[in-house]
Amino acid sequence: MLRFLIKRLLLGTLTMFAVSLVAFGMFFMLPRDAVATMCVKNCNPERLERVRVELGLKDPLIDQYTGYMKGIFVGRDLGSAQGGFCDAPCLGYSYTSSEEVSDIFARVLPVTLSIVIPAAVLWLGLGIGLGMISALRRGTVFDRLAIGFSLTGASMQLYFVGGMLMIIFVYTLKILPVPHYTSLWDDPLDWASGLVLAWVALAFLFSAVYARLSRAQMLETLAEDFVRTARAKGLTKSRAYGRHALRAAITPIVTIAGLDIGGALGGTVITETTFGIQGLGRTAVEAVRLGDLPTIMATVLVSAVFIVVANIVVDLLYAVIDPRVRLG
Amino acid sequence: MRSRAILAAGGVLALTVALGACSENKNTDSDVDTDRVSSGAIATDPADSKGPAKPVDGAAKGGTFTVIRQTKISHMDPQRVYSFVGLNTAPLYARFLTTWKDDGKGNVTLVGDLAETPGVNVNKDCKVWEFKIKDGVKFEDGSAITSKEVAYGIARSFDPDLAGGPTYIQEWLANDAAFDTKWDFKANKTSLPPGLTTPDAKTLRFEFAKAHCDLPFAASLPATAPLPPAKDTGVELDNKPFSSGPYKLVKNTVGVEMLFERNEHWDANTDPVRNAYPDKFVYKFGPNAEAQTNRLIADGAEDQATLGWNGVDSSLVAKVAGDAGLMARTLREPTPSAWRLSINTQRVPDLSVRQALNYAIDRPGMVKAAGGDLKVAALTTLMPPSTLGFKKYDAYPTDIEKAKSTLAGKTPELVLVIGDDSGAQELGTQVKNNLEKAGFKITIKVIPADSKLDETKKKDNPWDLYLDSWAADWPSGAALLPVLFDGRTIKAEGNSNTSFVNNDAINAEFDRVLALDPAAQAPEWAKLDERIMKELAPAVPLYADVMFVMQGSKVGGVYIDSIFGYPAFTRAFVKQ
Repeated sequence: MLRFLIKRLLLGTLTMFAVSLVAFGMFFMLPRDAVATMCVKNCNPERLERVRVELGLKDPLIDQYTGYMKGIFVGRDLGSAQGGFCDAPCLGYSYTSSEEVSDIFARVLPVTLSIVIPAAVLWLGLGIGLGMISALRRGTVFDRLAIGFSLTGASMQLYFVGGMLMIIFVYTLKILPVPHYTSLWDDPLDWASGLVLAWVALAFLFSAVYARLSRAQMLETLAEDFVRTARAKGLTKSRAYGRHALRAAITPIVTIAGLDIGGALGGTVITETTFGIQGLGRTAVEAVRLGDLPTIMATVLVSAVFIVVANIVVDLLYAVIDPRVRLG
Repeated sequence: MRSRAILAAGGVLALTVALGACSENKNTDSDVDTDRVSSGAIATDPADSKGPAKPVDGAAKGGTFTVIRQTKISHMDPQRVYSFVGLNTAPLYARFLTTWKDDGKGNVTLVGDLAETPGVNVNKDCKVWEFKIKDGVKFEDGSAITSKEVAYGIARSFDPDLAGGPTYIQEWLANDAAFDTKWDFKANKTSLPPGLTTPDAKTLRFEFAKAHCDLPFAASLPATAPLPPAKDTGVELDNKPFSSGPYKLVKNTVGVEMLFERNEHWDANTDPVRNAYPDKFVYKFGPNAEAQTNRLIADGAEDQATLGWNGVDSSLVAKVAGDAGLMARTLREPTPSAWRLSINTQRVPDLSVRQALNYAIDRPGMVKAAGGDLKVAALTTLMPPSTLGFKKYDAYPTDIEKAKSTLAGKTPELVLVIGDDSGAQELGTQVKNNLEKAGFKITIKVIPADSKLDETKKKDNPWDLYLDSWAADWPSGAALLPVLFDGRTIKAEGNSNTSFVNNDAINAEFDRVLALDPAAQAPEWAKLDERIMKELAPAVPLYADVMFVMQGSKVGGVYIDSIFGYPAFTRAFVKQ
């Protein structure tokens, strides 16, 4: 187990290193001049050039990259234009926000986690629950309704569902406040009421896939020999299905859930835009639009961390769920 | 001076883009006074610069006023403020040397803000200016504001680390566009830039090498806000400015929310323009124009004292315009952002062709393509009506037959370059179809919208026609005509004179008018506007943007300012 974990963490670090190289390289291929964006008016070429020198954008690429990586581990001096010394883990100083990127992340990361994690709990519970029940009650009215629900969800777009929910609950019935983010620790009730529409919208769309997937998986598993054997040996229905069939059926679902949650954390921009909440996704998109290299780098790295961590968690869960899987 | 199109990157263009999808909203009567003429001057009576501000009918103190906006304000440090939202937010927490008394209908007077008067032209040659700082003006910590702190504020605007703000005063003091090479702020923090002195605690003195009659106007920009050296946190000031205005920024969650509360040390009796009625101002960032408009239409409890900065969303214009109750909660005024079809005179040297372009343009069609008359107002002059001394004229009334006869059988082949955003494409197609009726052959070339502005500003750009816009920093022809049409400033790139005209007689006229007393300049610019169009026809004037914003049912006192054309909050109040 420990060996597995160490191996995966090393592999993850390697992945992160590759991602950081690619992100850094890509920025210099963007058809965009961050300095010109920062200083949009009255900037003569000479002044722009001096700013580029000051920001280190004229240093060799390899120096810029090593400087950046050094900042993450031991901190570095960014100069007076960027707020002086930046403590480790230094993700740099935003060209457009006049603050350290790590401060931006301390602010937007809880927002994105608050959107995605409760939504994921909701969509997994709802999706898997619906799928399992309709598999066990195949052909009933419930099954048909559940399939219809999941088809509807799977064929809709978040900005549509989100917009509809807002028109109904916020603008017309006025029973929910305008979506917003408050810290969970400050006011849990406000936290939930500000984000509940986002959770519901995400859960509606995502649970559809899980309902269909878990129904299909469950039906396939129920037809397997070991389930029939278990039943024949005299296990009760609930024990045979709940303990044996479910564990086998759920393994592929966990894989997809891991990827989905990791991806959703790195890609909440549509949710955030629809509900007007400033999280990681919108921060990333704005950074790209404005050519804010330090923020772009950090969003890419953090999103990659999400994916890598989600994958490790999924692999660990395999071992828990499926006794046939041995880590090592 | 500022090209409106540059700011487009931050949202103006996005607005136009969205408008492209919605051009059929024509069934509404426009009650925007598009022909309104500005009147205004520099106050000569010191009483005009005295506080308190004239009370607003029906206004009462108290309440929280909320502004919702899609994206954060790029800079809050007064020396770096230059976006429209920044320019109209800064008066909450900062005071300047001079400021505008503005009725929101184009009648403006430049008065002293921190200064007792809008400046004394000591030798009447516009080279030496003096400002006396008022008594009783204080920072948020209660310390007095003197000429030293104002001078320090101007000095720190020389710091290249603090880029982003206007550069007029720095360039005039240094007598060089590369002002930061003439005086190094970081190495001389205890001294002042050349030409700037504080003979005593009340007096601020500017000495320029050349005449700069526009100084009182330039001093109205937030870059003249004061700052005590001890409170200078460098780049960090951008997120926590030190207040000299009626409010102080007490909480700033960057990109999410800003909370302003009263600065108890601000004295209304020193302030000629700020009523400061609400107890608090809150800026909330995030919702797009559509969400803002939906919220304001719903007028829910938390949005009743709210203004949506990004304007009425184009998808909801028809809904709002069709409902008298909703229209009553909107503000609609023409802005100083004037759009024109620039003609590259290097490639189109034939005056008759340029005149034919002017005769051929179908303005109602252009207005429709740009979002209808709720969003833009047709324009036949180079200067928008908000300019002081504006005089309406139409040198080339639309007439396709006249255009054809002016062309005299020629069929000029011209290249129109547009950005790759949908709004621009719609406008481009409109221009092409329109001009081809008069016999032109128009080829549309689409380039990335991001780089269009930089490319068209290059002297050797390979195009004949492009849509350009300009919003002057103060409503004087001096901030528009010489900038756009003085040929002596043409350089390899970064030109504002995108028509690339260079006419000796006109250039000489620029010099003559610029040397006049500011008050005498206004009618001269109006004459020159018409003369440039008649003699050079360097562009086709198209339309000025119209600001169309919505507010909650408890908002009062907000007006669209006559200088920048955006919502202004100096008189705002919350209905009790």
